[in-house]
Amino acid sequence: MISNLTDRLKQSAARTRESLRTVIRPRTRPLLGAAVVVLVIASVMPWAVSGVGYTTTFSGDLADAGLGGHRLYLLLVALLAATALAPQGNRRRIATISAISAVVITFFLFYKLWKTGGGSGAVGVGAWVAVVGTLALVLVADAMEASPPPRLPGFPAPVDLALLVAGIGGLLYAVVIGLNIDDEREFLSFAVFVGCAVAVMGAFGVTETFSRAFNRYRYVGYALSLVAAVAFPFTQNGNAVWMAVFARVGVFAAAAIGLNVVVGLAGLLDLGYIAFFGIGGYVSALFSNAIFTTVHVHLPFVLVLFMGAAAAGFFGVIVGAPTLRLRGDYLAIVTLGFGEIFRIVAINWPELTRGPNGIAGIPDLEIFGFNFGRPHDALGVPLPYQANYYFLDIVLIVFVMVVFARLNDSRIGRAWVAIREDEVAARAMGINTVAMKLLAFAIGATLAGGAGTINVHIGRAIEPNAYQFIFSALLLAAVVLGGMGTVPGAVLGATLLYAIPEKLRFVQDYRLFLFGLVLVLLMRFRPEGLIPSQRRQREFHDADSGADALGGPAEVATA
Amino acid sequence: MTQFLQQLSNGLVLGAMYGLIALGYTMVYGIIQLINFAHGDIFMLGAFGGLFAYNHWLPSSMQGHILIALPVCLIFGIAWSVLSAVIMERVAYRPLRNAPRLAPLITAIGVSAVIEEGTRLWYPGAKQPLDFPQLLPNGAFTVGGVRITWANVTVVVVAIVLMIALQTFVLKSSTGRAMRATAQDPDTAQLMGVDTNRVIVTTFALGAALAAVAGVLQGARLGTVRFDDGFVAGLKAFTAAVLGGIGNITGCVAGGFIIGIVEVMAIQYLPRGSGFKDLWAFVVLILVLVFKPTGLFGEEVATRA
Repeated sequence: MISNLTDRLKQSAARTRESLRTVIRPRTRPLLGAAVVVLVIASVMPWAVSGVGYTTTFSGDLADAGLGGHRLYLLLVALLAATALAPQGNRRRIATISAISAVVITFFLFYKLWKTGGGSGAVGVGAWVAVVGTLALVLVADAMEASPPPRLPGFPAPVDLALLVAGIGGLLYAVVIGLNIDDEREFLSFAVFVGCAVAVMGAFGVTETFSRAFNRYRYVGYALSLVAAVAFPFTQNGNAVWMAVFARVGVFAAAAIGLNVVVGLAGLLDLGYIAFFGIGGYVSALFSNAIFTTVHVHLPFVLVLFMGAAAAGFFGVIVGAPTLRLRGDYLAIVTLGFGEIFRIVAINWPELTRGPNGIAGIPDLEIFGFNFGRPHDALGVPLPYQANYYFLDIVLIVFVMVVFARLNDSRIGRAWVAIREDEVAARAMGINTVAMKLLAFAIGATLAGGAGTINVHIGRAIEPNAYQFIFSALLLAAVVLGGMGTVPGAVLGATLLYAIPEKLRFVQDYRLFLFGLVLVLLMRFRPEGLIPSQRRQREFHDADSGADALGGPAEVATA
Repeated sequence: MTQFLQQLSNGLVLGAMYGLIALGYTMVYGIIQLINFAHGDIFMLGAFGGLFAYNHWLPSSMQGHILIALPVCLIFGIAWSVLSAVIMERVAYRPLRNAPRLAPLITAIGVSAVIEEGTRLWYPGAKQPLDFPQLLPNGAFTVGGVRITWANVTVVVVAIVLMIALQTFVLKSSTGRAMRATAQDPDTAQLMGVDTNRVIVTTFALGAALAAVAGVLQGARLGTVRFDDGFVAGLKAFTAAVLGGIGNITGCVAGGFIIGIVEVMAIQYLPRGSGFKDLWAFVVLILVLVFKPTGLFGEEVATRA
């Protein structure tokens, strides 16, 4: 009976939507223009009523007319929506994306004003106008016809190179601007605008051209990215807050690339990855003469790095060897179990690990006489000591990237992909599947161990509960979000998942919930991630493909 | 010897819990070859559903009467778990039925995080462990020096009755036959007129109902529930399912009892037993996968469901 009722409701909603579409469809251009104009006007009007509840909690004086705070980003989104009037580009996509962005910015601000002000009395006229404009934009976007994505011609080399410089420079610029926005809620609007801008560029084929240019001049692209990454600390004016965050992000990004070897290349689901990270961490904590160490030996860090990596790799082989003979799902559950075993042992072996309190007082790194605990001046810009770790992370990431790229292009990498696509066929082609899977698993574990040794020096302490299952899931989410099987994807995913919650303190408590949601939604709507590898994209969107990621044809009913 | 028997009886109670949860894993895996990581959280939701009904809907005059309170908690716990499981199947898993196998596994992890964190964030007071009401009979009796509480007897009896009921349902009813047919060959089953979508939803719902019963009983037995109770319990139950031969109902129940007894014995007889109590299930899991990956009863395809 209930399903009957919901069916009837669904039908009538669909009818209303269809009739609205038929009315709007012949007039999308003028109506879109009108919506944009309304939004532009709204964004220079006062949004709040001064004296009622509001004023100090929002940056940019929202009670005055003019562009302040969030309104700037609404204006920019409206201008992006106007590009749907251009003769080229996928108009429906542009309109839809800017409509969603406008909805997020407008309604979030509207709700906040309403709540802080205690009712409709606090909401100024601009906010109401913006709501009208946003709804109009939504209706127009819904009525628009989809058009095929534009095919852009190849460009001459100078254009491609300029595009690379502009793209990478723009990214750095956006990051710097974003970090300088102090108001969290305004940062959210900014992030929505940036996402919208990137998506609109995608609808014009700009992002595709960019990635083509990147592929064509790969080394130039990587060199420019490296320059941008190295330049970042110099934009912070000696401020340590974000250097500390990004020193951590860098380590997680390196670990995410390692996990990407296992998940993205070989198609093995490793849910205990954080344990390998932790093994490296404990080796590092024990052998670097931390205040609470139980070993009392101080070995040079370069040696400890290799020891941590080797220990993690060793355990990777121990766990992997028996289980990699079985179906992929079992590996997932065994690695999950291994992650828990690691944590339980670390908690219950106080003679070595100091139990739940962990090992604190880990000294700063010292490599070849260079002390990482001291701030430095470079090019006249003061760099806090965290920047040292950040630069070390970059070295680590470059190393891991080279490993990843060399493996991916080698006979081994092709074997992994073959296994991922169809294990039986791969074996028939003469690939030693167990050995290859074990290799992928061990390499992933080794990289995690190496990253883990650096991580504990940044945090200066290690404790078992920092290595819970949920953090393995988080790293996995970073890989999936960025794009399985690509290096930039893993770095982007790790950056987004670790840096954005630092910026948006008010989502901290909701962080894990949101990550879970991100995983579910991504798998449903964009399983190839933000930066897909071309192979993956085809695999996920090929309707006829029965091949599945963990080997063997899909055995599941066609619904 | 008395101590051993005492621990054996405790192990049986724990094993009955694991067995009940494991049935959900094994049935879902048998039909769509999915390790439903979120199943442990469905177990936790059952406990919270029962707790909510007890605190908010049950008139306080009835709260002392076990014969009323226990069924009410069970019914609402089951309702809440089944509802969640059906929504989960419909929204998260069904759209991925033909996706590469990695996709639903990753989704399952996401669903698990959403359920756990959602409960922690939005169930009132769930950031701390919550007290669970006394729903099981008091008192105990002694047999040959072994003290057996009526609460434990209730738990084991309820669990065994449900397991027998499930086995009968799967073997005798037409829905059960449809489930077995779908497990064997979904395409052919569909051609024979089986509505496989309905069968899959039914499977999820059945598993969720059993897990909810386990959740309420576990809460009542321990007197406390936490939002992350489902994680470790789910892992151990999964181990039980693998140990018994995944997809096999009898094996799954046996696996549950073995895991329960191993855990209790390890706490009693091994050094630092209680600290390492969550470890042995994984050790057993790895050993089983190395030496007998099909599980103890894995070959018996006839009772697959």
